Amino acid sequence: MIDLIISKYNYWIYIVLMMIGFYAMIGKKNLVKKIIGINIFQTAIILFFVSTASKRGGTLPIIEHAHGHGAHAIEAASYINPLPHVLMLTAIVVMVSTLGVALAIMILIYRRYNTLEENEILEQRKWSSNPPF
Amino acid sequence: MRILALFTVIITGIILAYGTQDMPDWGDPKSPASIHVSPRYIEKTIEETATPNVVTSLLADYRGYDTLGETTVIFTAGISCILILRIRKRRREQK
Amino acid sequence: MVQQSPVLVVVIPLIFAFLIFIFGWWRRGICYPITLTAISLSFLASLLTLNTVITTGTIHYRLGSWEPPWGIEYVVDHLNAFVLVIVSLVSLIAAISSKKSVEKELNEKTVFFYSIFLLQVTGFLGIVITGDMFNLYVFLEIASLAGYALIAIGEDGAPFASFNYLIFGTIGACFYLLGVGYLYITTGSLNMADLSQILPNLYHSKVVLVAFAFFLVGVSLKMALFPLHVWLPDAYTYAPSPVSSLLAPLMTKVGAYIMIRIMFFVFKPYFSIELIPATTILVWMAGGAILFGAIWALAQTDLKRMLAYILVSEVGYITLGIGLANKNGLTGAILHILNDSFMMLALFLVVGAIMYRTGKREITGLRYIHRKMPFTMAVFVVAALSVIGIPPTCGFFSKWYLILGAIDANYWVPAGILLLSSLLNVIIFFRVIENAYLEPDEGHTGGTSETHIAIEEAPLSMLIPILIAGAGIMLFGVLSGKIVSTIIQFAIPSFV
Repeated sequence: MIDLIISKYNYWIYIVLMMIGFYAMIGKKNLVKKIIGINIFQTAIILFFVSTASKRGGTLPIIEHAHGHGAHAIEAASYINPLPHVLMLTAIVVMVSTLGVALAIMILIYRRYNTLEENEILEQRKWSSNPPF
Repeated sequence: MRILALFTVIITGIILAYGTQDMPDWGDPKSPASIHVSPRYIEKTIEETATPNVVTSLLADYRGYDTLGETTVIFTAGISCILILRIRKRRREQK
Repeated sequence: MVQQSPVLVVVIPLIFAFLIFIFGWWRRGICYPITLTAISLSFLASLLTLNTVITTGTIHYRLGSWEPPWGIEYVVDHLNAFVLVIVSLVSLIAAISSKKSVEKELNEKTVFFYSIFLLQVTGFLGIVITGDMFNLYVFLEIASLAGYALIAIGEDGAPFASFNYLIFGTIGACFYLLGVGYLYITTGSLNMADLSQILPNLYHSKVVLVAFAFFLVGVSLKMALFPLHVWLPDAYTYAPSPVSSLLAPLMTKVGAYIMIRIMFFVFKPYFSIELIPATTILVWMAGGAILFGAIWALAQTDLKRMLAYILVSEVGYITLGIGLANKNGLTGAILHILNDSFMMLALFLVVGAIMYRTGKREITGLRYIHRKMPFTMAVFVVAALSVIGIPPTCGFFSKWYLILGAIDANYWVPAGILLLSSLLNVIIFFRVIENAYLEPDEGHTGGTSETHIAIEEAPLSMLIPILIAGAGIMLFGVLSGKIVSTIIQFAIPSFV
């Protein structure tokens, strides 16, 4: 059990971080805290992916002296895996876009209800419409 | 409500951690992810794309369609923010 | 041109979304024709794709000419092409009917609205056609972000409903991404066909099991499967009418498509049915969805909210078909994707027309509507008969296949729930039809001349799509046999 945690400690750290973000998303009542929870959750997923790309003894995936010096053998094992980095570039962009749209919706909510606590908003809405299921 | 949220979070965390048992160790050069698809990217990037930076050649050449999707996501988010937030001056006066 | 039709289906709305943003500043009136042009061209391309698939078999289209799994690939088989045609046709009909509502409610935001509308359609088409797991995530996020924005501009409760949808939708998409990540860690590949070859050696692995669990939960959140459906009623009730007639038929069906693709094509059917009892769990969730959706729909007084709960029930039908996992069940599920899209489209278009003309949506406020809007209410009755499941409307045929599938698999309780839900749907819709059609008895002295109400039908740009949707319901019912034998029969995976 201990060596399980030690050899895979990167995954465990990121899972703990993910769960902190997930709890903030669903357990907190303030809308800003929920949005911060989204951010933490998605950042932890991105870190999780990127941590799978590392190789012991590998360097950055940029091939030096590539042009003009004649081809020398490029070993894949001396460079780290570039594919998760590429996927996570897209995921970071998606995270920022979701953050932007979430904040825009939150501004709209604040203009209407003048509060950002979920239970106060539900109180104000109870006097206007249907049961909340 | 908080108890339910905490319970859900703990269950999800346990399931995720349970799944890490069969994963390759950190930094293992023989993990499936490092052997199956990505060696070809590193080895052939100079002759196929003439770009020393492998991440760039992946982003713009091999998986360029995902980059198109990513720029579409930014465009969508930008127009969504305008769509949600824009108030014309005359409506604000009427309010 | 025909060779490039798979990618044209997705790229044309994308380019036109950008063009609307540019040309809309010049003249606002030009947005609507450009939108219609874009979606019609996309629909034509999807028809060409379907035709190619029927005549020559599965299409493999390589983006950038890199061979898979090193590049992204579009794999179009019968299931794909079928759902593509449905999505583009439903978007076209919803777009045609959007003109008057947008002019009335969202006039100063027309340019942005149509731009996001086209981006939403792009997202749906991109999800359906792709053969790469991460590409699906990117287009899922395009569709989701556009959806959050489109719902948030609705009426009074809309921003809060959209925020709730945002939280749930982000959880769903992140769980899907976690699933892709777990699969990548243990296989190294992102291509669906490649994964289906590598994974059978790894079925005993815990990583694959957890990845499957996260895929199912994430897709269920997006698909609004009971009990993760809580975002749906609020979101689709308070959204503007053109938005709910676009989103309600399509978002849940695209989610169901993702579930079929993951459960039966990426993971072999043997894994989903026997190794882990995923299909059994799905059957019971679906039973709960059908039952509770119908019961909650009974309790509503707002017509649109009632339709949103009926949508929860319909998602239950499709999931029941997926969960039964035999030939009849999956035939019923895929046929129900087609039927339910048109039923929900017709119902939400009718409610949109009623909102436009009378401005209110309470069921009790529908008095004399059959005199004011006779054609609209006629289509409502046809759609109601289809939801109940009366031949020759299309709803009957998909329910028939589902019941046959349930009996084949010896699931007697779900078969009973299916029949019970038909009864509940009769009660639900009869309440509306009674309020709309039967007039109160006001005594016989000079009553008829007093209650002469002029026909104030929905405007033509809303009426024609409603009639097309109603005609479609009847037409697809009559043609069900042909559709099953030509397309759906080949779309079902072979069960070992």
